[in-house]
Amino acid sequence: MNHMITTNALTKEYDHKKVVNALDLRVPEGSVYGFLGPNGAGKSTTLKMLLGLVKPTGGQIHILGKTLSPANRLDILQQTGSLIEAPAYYGHLSGKENLQIICKLKNVPEKEILRVMHLVRMEKQMEKKVKNYSLGMKQRLAIAAALLGNPRLLLLDEPTNGLDPAGIQEIRELICGLPEHGITVLVSSHLLSEIDQMATDVGIIDKGQLIFQDSLMILHEHSRSRILFRTSDNAAAFRLLNSSGMAVKWDNDSFYMDNVSDDKIMEAVRRCVENQIGVFRVTEQQKSLEDIFLSLTGKQVSL
Amino acid sequence: MLLRCIQAENMKFKHSVIYLAFIAIPIIPAIMGTFNYLQNLELLKSGWYSLWTQITLFYASFFYAPLIGIYCSYTWRLEHTHNNWNHFMSMPVSIFDSYLAKLVCIMKVTVFTQIWVSILFFISGKLAGLPGIFSPEIIFWLIRGTLAAIAIASLQLLLSMLIRNFAIPIGIALFGSIAGMLMNNADLGNFWPYSLMLLGMNSNQNEDVLASFSATASFFVSVGVFFVLFLGIAIWQLRTRDVRA
Repeated sequence: MNHMITTNALTKEYDHKKVVNALDLRVPEGSVYGFLGPNGAGKSTTLKMLLGLVKPTGGQIHILGKTLSPANRLDILQQTGSLIEAPAYYGHLSGKENLQIICKLKNVPEKEILRVMHLVRMEKQMEKKVKNYSLGMKQRLAIAAALLGNPRLLLLDEPTNGLDPAGIQEIRELICGLPEHGITVLVSSHLLSEIDQMATDVGIIDKGQLIFQDSLMILHEHSRSRILFRTSDNAAAFRLLNSSGMAVKWDNDSFYMDNVSDDKIMEAVRRCVENQIGVFRVTEQQKSLEDIFLSLTGKQVSL
Repeated sequence: MLLRCIQAENMKFKHSVIYLAFIAIPIIPAIMGTFNYLQNLELLKSGWYSLWTQITLFYASFFYAPLIGIYCSYTWRLEHTHNNWNHFMSMPVSIFDSYLAKLVCIMKVTVFTQIWVSILFFISGKLAGLPGIFSPEIIFWLIRGTLAAIAIASLQLLLSMLIRNFAIPIGIALFGSIAGMLMNNADLGNFWPYSLMLLGMNSNQNEDVLASFSATASFFVSVGVFFVLFLGIAIWQLRTRDVRA
């Protein structure tokens, strides 16, 4: 598989603290790569290193088939659109004038402005000064700016920040459709549900370290089911099943079994009934991505 | 690429308030200088030259460098606010061209400022009842003062890039200019960038301070050295420092 971005042991230290620690990113060409992690995990720093805005303490970056270096930087930037940390804009200028500046610097014809503003549904707001835009509109303008000049790679840092639910849906659809136009997208988020709905591939970063990286499908395979038991005497049932060698786990006054076959469930129920323990209910619970994240990082992520 | 950067910088200056400072501020030294001239007519007997000494005494000592400082702080404030540093540094144009474009735009406004100052000088002279027009020598001093501004613009642009506060670099320019007066009096003007404007404009002097070839040469060498020095530091900073939005 061709990779649009490859990093090897990418590291950034601030005051002897590793903000990004030995990151080996593999972003497949034509993917929507969801870069997921809690706030402060090192997502923005990583994206800034990919653009050459922050100089790595160690490691290499290969991007668009080239090693990122001062000599290659402009070539790479010419083919990259980005939105880092928060929308950038000149408030005293209109949306259109803001994009004209970028057209000039990217050497892109100004007729592109209408196309990208149409994509983010901002054609009617073009003449308004950006300082009068809502946060959502600024965010859309920034995405439009990133799309100017048909980049092959798009780096979007929390692109749905500040958007209302309808806006989030629109931007999500826009991002999902970009690979059809030959654009690879790296989109960061602290929202698991968001990545779940957009990405084809996922990298999870926590405390500067990549703790998971694969296709979204593989991540979902981790979400196997859990069988919960409610009985007339949970403690006795747990002791009974545990002593007979079944993989039961105690949690919150009741117990459960993970990833078990139907036969095992039947056996558990039979043993309980044979020992005069009434079984009230046996319920299946799907492990959510939240739970997977929790088991990978050991901490809660915001939804 | 430089041309595109300059055009982009010019677009950023659209609808900006910088022109207000450019129009309003030089009026202050023109009024102060003219007033001073009219108060001391018994001492100041050289007509246009005398008026020039008075106006430039105030303009070059207190207003010229801070005015350039305002232009520089303004142009960087555009990048310091609203996350534009990330943006500014991730455009596919060389760092040197991006920075030089800012400098070119500052110099453009500075040239306009100097033209405006010469217009104000002429108006003041007429209001003070001076006959005819001023001698071409004064135009030469104005041009020399504009060249000195290249060194100051290079320094102020560096300061305003590093210091995110709008006013501090302007304050430095003001103190620098006042110190420049003292340095000139001590005959050390060529070693202090802010003195160069006073020297170039021939401020508060009746005789041309740069009459001799050696004085002229050391003035231009000094302008050149300061310009390259501060430009070099700025480019080096931009290339090596991590970008903070």
